[in-house]
Amino acid sequence: MSTTTLDAPVVVPPPATDDIRLTFRGVLRSEWVKLRSVRSSAMTLLGAAFAMLAAGLVFASTIGGGGDGPGPDDGMSDPTAIALSGVMITQLVIGVLGVMVVSSEYSTGMIRSTLTGVPARLPVLAAKVVVVTGAVFTSMLAVSLVAFLGAQAIMSGADLPTAALGDPGVLRAVVGSAAALTGVAVMGVAFGSILRGTAGAISTLFALVFLAPGLGRLLLPTSWRDDVLKYLPSNASSSFTSVTAGPDVLGTTAGALVFAAWVVVPLVVAAVLLRRRDA
Amino acid sequence: MIEVANLTKRYGAKTAVDGLTFSIRPGTVTGFLGPNGAGKSTTMRMLVGLDTPTSGTAKVNGKPYGEHRAPLREIGVLLEARAVHPGRSARDHLLAIGATHGITARRVDDVLDMVGLTEVAKRRVGNFSLGMGQRLGIAVALLGDPRTVVLDEPVNGLDPDGIKWIRQLLKGLAAEGRTVFISSHLMSEMALTAEHLIVVGRGRLIADVSVAALIESAARGVHVRTSQVSALVRVLNGDGVRISTVGGGVLDVVGRSTEDIATRALAAGIPLYELTPQRASLEEAYMELTQESVEYHGGTTTTTSFGEAA
Repeated sequence: MSTTTLDAPVVVPPPATDDIRLTFRGVLRSEWVKLRSVRSSAMTLLGAAFAMLAAGLVFASTIGGGGDGPGPDDGMSDPTAIALSGVMITQLVIGVLGVMVVSSEYSTGMIRSTLTGVPARLPVLAAKVVVVTGAVFTSMLAVSLVAFLGAQAIMSGADLPTAALGDPGVLRAVVGSAAALTGVAVMGVAFGSILRGTAGAISTLFALVFLAPGLGRLLLPTSWRDDVLKYLPSNASSSFTSVTAGPDVLGTTAGALVFAAWVVVPLVVAAVLLRRRDA
Repeated sequence: MIEVANLTKRYGAKTAVDGLTFSIRPGTVTGFLGPNGAGKSTTMRMLVGLDTPTSGTAKVNGKPYGEHRAPLREIGVLLEARAVHPGRSARDHLLAIGATHGITARRVDDVLDMVGLTEVAKRRVGNFSLGMGQRLGIAVALLGDPRTVVLDEPVNGLDPDGIKWIRQLLKGLAAEGRTVFISSHLMSEMALTAEHLIVVGRGRLIADVSVAALIESAARGVHVRTSQVSALVRVLNGDGVRISTVGGGVLDVVGRSTEDIATRALAAGIPLYELTPQRASLEEAYMELTQESVEYHGGTTTTTSFGEAA
């Protein structure tokens, strides 16, 4: 017969968490869990895919159809540009994704939980950039490939000129479109982090990517406006998202560098502010 | 272990925390008490590096929080404001926070079980009641099995069962040798949970005192009722003893314990009909401590020391 000591305190064995440690890998995982566990991430990615595909495929099926549709006379005869014409509108959607990855943390207070877990803070920003880059680039690369191939199939069916991936500059344009979209998403991360609010960050991003080229065209003196406008992010990226760049577009390498600067500089500002400000 | 030295935080012209110095020992529950706006939340935010002190230092288990290899293992924190994305499930919220430290899904499920949220673990947090949200916050605080637990107003939004649960939880954590530091603006709550108190007002330390010492300090005289008033006054008189008449044969005696009074009365053969120690409630003692430092009063803050005051 055994005796049980009734007055001994119940000791719950401590969980085996002695070996836990904060690592960058862990922060990456954390950001991935965050991205996939809110509905808005999948919704914006789906929205972006839809915008990219719809624009390219609809454009491909209406072109050369006579009537009011755009035709070769409008300077839109490049079959690659037709297929990838959704990049501009897709930037809008994908930019929102980048902004929300950071701004939703501020609007909900989640950022306090996040930064308490990662007091060094910068790994959080870095991990967000990596996760957004990975998710956006892979999905948008697939989408721009499908848009390209689908549009070519449609145009070939209509006996219109088509392009192949092996043609000069075409693969660069397809991959470049995914890269440009990724860059805008990362700019969204940076602006979301700098401005901390969804509305402000989205407005700023749209103004820069969307409105600035048009407004500049309207407001700047003609003598030097083209020299300035080609350095805006969307004009800089058109140097590598299209096969035949227009006259007022930077060269491919220069354009890529300028566009990269538009991504990196706001990120650096975001990093400095993230370290300095109270959360 | 928490060590705060000359901790100061200014927001523009407003000083939220003004030269706070105190230490919180492991193994007991320490209450952080003060009126709303006294700087409790700001102090807690500085402990975990969310706010940077204007001057002074805050150390957790010997180091500034950010220098630990596994911050969540050192300190678990529940801040007053919600810190959860409403579109995420409770489980995903914990998984995301735990992932930074390699905390497993198994540990997440254990913690969910511990706070009683297993059944709603996959529901979106936006649909949670205040009490469920509070339990989730406590789950986050306990996720890394921390040596120090800091909770800002933990009973907020909890129902009576929940309040009882958290009191037991906190005492259990302290009994395991952890440092437990909880804030409240309610003395009554602290009296039931904490053994030691840090009392602040307008960002300054008012008292660093054990609950027992505070109760002691709140002691008033003893009311004694007898038929032989003058005879009793004679046997009770002495150095530092003050006796006054309350009326109806009742004396108010300051400076002698109830035991002392009873023994002396018995020796002199004086019958006592009533012997009642008079105490201010803890609530009153706390009000006395803080009334001069309540945010909206004028005048300067005084620092009162008790027994082991800093």
